[in-house]
Amino acid sequence: MINQLPIINMLIFLATALIIPLLSKRTFKITLIFGFIMLLCVVTSSFFLIFHIAEHGAILYQFGGHDSKIGIEFKVDLMAAIIGLFVVGLTTIIYIYSCGDETEGVEQKEYGRYYILLFIILFAILGIIYTNDLFNAYVFMEIISITTCSIISIKRKKETYAASFRYVMLNEIGSLSYLFGVALIYMVTGYTNIDWVSQSIQSIWQLYSINIIIALGFMIVGIGIKAAIFPFHIWLPDAHASAPSSSSAILSSIIVKVYIVVLIKLLFKVFKLDILNHFHVSTILVIVAATGMIMGSIFAIAQKDIKRMLGYSSISQIGYIVMGIAMFSSLGLASAMFHIISHGLMKAALFLSVGIVIYKKKIKKKNDFEGLAYEMPITMSVFTIAALGMIGIPLTSGFMSKLTLGMASLDHRQGYLIIIVVLSGLLNVIYYLPIIISSFLKSEPNTYHPFKIEKVPWPMLTSVILLGIGILTFGIFPNLIMNMITQAAELFGLI
Amino acid sequence: MDDRIVKSITRLVIPFIQLYGIFIILHGHITPGGGFSGGTLIGTSLILYTLVFGLLPSKKKFSHRMSQIAESGGIVIYVGIGLIGLFLSGQFLTNLDAGFPIGEPGELFSAGMIPLLMITIGIKVASTMVSLFHLLIEGDLDADHPGIR
Amino acid sequence: MQIIQAFVDHINFIGAVALFLIGLHTVVTKKNLIKRIMGLNIMGTSIFLFLVAIGNVTGGVPPILQQDPNVNYINPIPSVLILTGIVVVVSMTVYSLSLTIKIYEMYGTINQDELTHLIREEEIHD
Repeated sequence: MINQLPIINMLIFLATALIIPLLSKRTFKITLIFGFIMLLCVVTSSFFLIFHIAEHGAILYQFGGHDSKIGIEFKVDLMAAIIGLFVVGLTTIIYIYSCGDETEGVEQKEYGRYYILLFIILFAILGIIYTNDLFNAYVFMEIISITTCSIISIKRKKETYAASFRYVMLNEIGSLSYLFGVALIYMVTGYTNIDWVSQSIQSIWQLYSINIIIALGFMIVGIGIKAAIFPFHIWLPDAHASAPSSSSAILSSIIVKVYIVVLIKLLFKVFKLDILNHFHVSTILVIVAATGMIMGSIFAIAQKDIKRMLGYSSISQIGYIVMGIAMFSSLGLASAMFHIISHGLMKAALFLSVGIVIYKKKIKKKNDFEGLAYEMPITMSVFTIAALGMIGIPLTSGFMSKLTLGMASLDHRQGYLIIIVVLSGLLNVIYYLPIIISSFLKSEPNTYHPFKIEKVPWPMLTSVILLGIGILTFGIFPNLIMNMITQAAELFGLI
Repeated sequence: MDDRIVKSITRLVIPFIQLYGIFIILHGHITPGGGFSGGTLIGTSLILYTLVFGLLPSKKKFSHRMSQIAESGGIVIYVGIGLIGLFLSGQFLTNLDAGFPIGEPGELFSAGMIPLLMITIGIKVASTMVSLFHLLIEGDLDADHPGIR
Repeated sequence: MQIIQAFVDHINFIGAVALFLIGLHTVVTKKNLIKRIMGLNIMGTSIFLFLVAIGNVTGGVPPILQQDPNVNYINPIPSVLILTGIVVVVSMTVYSLSLTIKIYEMYGTINQDELTHLIREEEIHD
C-alpha cells in the first residue's frame, strides 16, 4: 500500500482541482477548508514516504505494469521525497496566507480560479519531481509553465499582460530547447527512461560525442531559462513586479527550485561524471554561477520597486545553489539542497511580509518603509530575520548554507570561490540593511502619540510567524534535516 | 452569414464530419488517430456551426454548463478507469492484468481499456476547442464584426 | 562530392535544424506579437520533424498490424511522443493568442516597440 503513496498524492491534488468548481455555489469558506484538509493529508503522507524511503530504499513504480524500457516509470528516492515534503509544506503556509488576502487584486468571483490553478501546479510539481522519464518531465514542465503564467497574471490589470507575454515566450523557448535535447538523446540511445539512457550512454559516448555535447548544451540552456540562472534570468523581475504576493512567493520559492532539481537529476543521473569532466561542464557552471551571484546583487541595488529588488536578489541566491551543484562533490550537493530549502523559507517570508505591508499601506517603493516597525512590529521583525538570513548572519539558516558551501569549496581546492561568496554577502548588505534600519527609526523624535498597531488579518500573521520560526529553527538546529540531506546526496555517487 | 447556399450546405455536411470524427475516435487502437485527432474533428464541426449560424444559436446548443460537465467528467472517468487498475492489480492504469478483455488484435472490440480512454479524451478535447473559440470570439461581438452576431 | 552525398543523405535532419533556427530567429527579432507566436509553432514543428526522421526505416511500412510476417515496420515510439508534443504546443498557442487579444484590448496595438513605449509612459506617470 505504501508503494502507491506517490500516485495517491498526485491524484488527491487533481481531484481537489476538479471538485472546487462544484463547490462554487456554497460560501467560499468551505472551499478554503476543503483545500486545507487535502493539503494536510498530502503533508502527512509525504512524512511517511520520507521515513519509509530512508529505511527501505527508492520506490519504483511502473504505470500499467509495462516494462520500464517502453513505459513510464516513477522513481521516488530520498531527494525526491525531501523536496516533495518541502514543496507541499511551504505551499500550505502560503495557502494560509492567501486565505486572508482579500483585496489584493483578486476579485471576489474569481477566487475559485486561483485555487484550481494552485492545485494543478502542485500536481505537476509532484509529477516532475517523482518521474524517471525525460519526456514525461517535458510534459509536466509545460503544465507548470502555463499554469504559473496564469497565476501571475490573475489580476486583470494592464501591466500584467505584457509581462506575462514575455514570460510565455521565454519559457517556451526554454521548453522547446529541452525537448530538442531529449530528441537528440533518443536518437543516440533509443530510450527515454533515465536508468536505461545512462547505462547506454556510459558505454558509447566516445562514438557519438558531438550528439551528446549538443544535447547537453540544449538541455542546460533550456533548464537554465526556466530556473532563472544568470544569463537567462530576464523574465523573473518583470513577473514579480505585477503579481499578487502569494503568487510571487510561490514562483520564487518553489517553482524555480523544482527546475534545479531536474538539473541535478539530469547532470548526475543521466550524464555521469566521466562525460561531464571530459566536456569541462564544471568550469562553465562555476563561471556562470559566480557571475550570477555578483551581477544579481548589483542589479538589485539599483531598483526602486521592492518586489523587483527581491526578484533580483532571488537571481543571486540561485547562483549560490548552482555553485553548490557545480562543485561536483557530495558536500556541495548537500549544501545546494540545504540552500534550496532555506532560501525557499526566507524568500517566502520576505515576499509575504512585503505583501502584508502593501495590503495595509499600499506602498511599493523601498524608500517608503520609514518608521513602519512601530506600526507593524511583527511583520517587520519577520522581515528583519529573513533579511539577516539572506545576508548570512549566524543563528539563521542562511548562515548554515553559506558555511556548508564554503566548506565544500575548500574541500576541493577551489578556495578562491569563498571570496566570491563573501563578496556577494557584502553586496546583499547594501540593499537590505537600509530598509531594516529605516523602518526601525522614525525621523521625528519628539512625538508622543502612542503608535497604533495596525490590525492585520490573522491568517497572514500566522503564516509569516510560522516562516520566521522555521528560519530560526533551521539556523539553530540544522541537524534536523542536514543528516537526511547528506544521506540523500551520497546516493548520487559523487565523491 | 446570410447566404442561403452556405447555410444549407453546412446543415448537410456537419453530421458527416461528426460521424468521421467518431469513427476516428473509436478506431484509436487500430488505425492512426485516436482521441486527440477525433476530438479536434468534432470540435471543428461545432466551430463551423458557430461561424455560419452566429454565436447565440451556437451558445444555446453548447452552453457553458455543458462544457463544464464535459471537461470535468472526462478527467473523472479517466482517473476512475485508472483507479480500477490500482485496486485490482496493483499499478495505476493497468490494462490487461486488471481484467479488461483483450480480444483479437485488429478487431474493434479489443485492446482492453484503450477505446474507453479514447472516448473520454475525445469528448474533453472537443469541448475545450469549442469553449475556447467562444471565449475568443466574445470580445468581438459589438464593435467591429457585425457578421457574427 | 562526399559533402554533397552526406548532405543529401541527412536532408531530413538538416531541414529540421534549419527550421528550428528560422523559428528562433522569428521569435527573437520580429516585432509583431502574432509573428512571434508563429515562430514558436515553427520551432515546435521542427522538433517533431526531427523525431519522425529518427524513427524512419528505409523501405518500411506504417506501424499498423498486417498479415504478412516479413514486413519492416517503422518505429512507432516517435509518433507517440509527437502526439503528446502537438497537444502541448497547441495549448500554449491558444494561451498566447488569448493574451494577445487582451493586450490589444488594453493598449490598442500589437507591435512590441509601441507597447514598450506605452508601458514606459505609464510608469513615468505613476
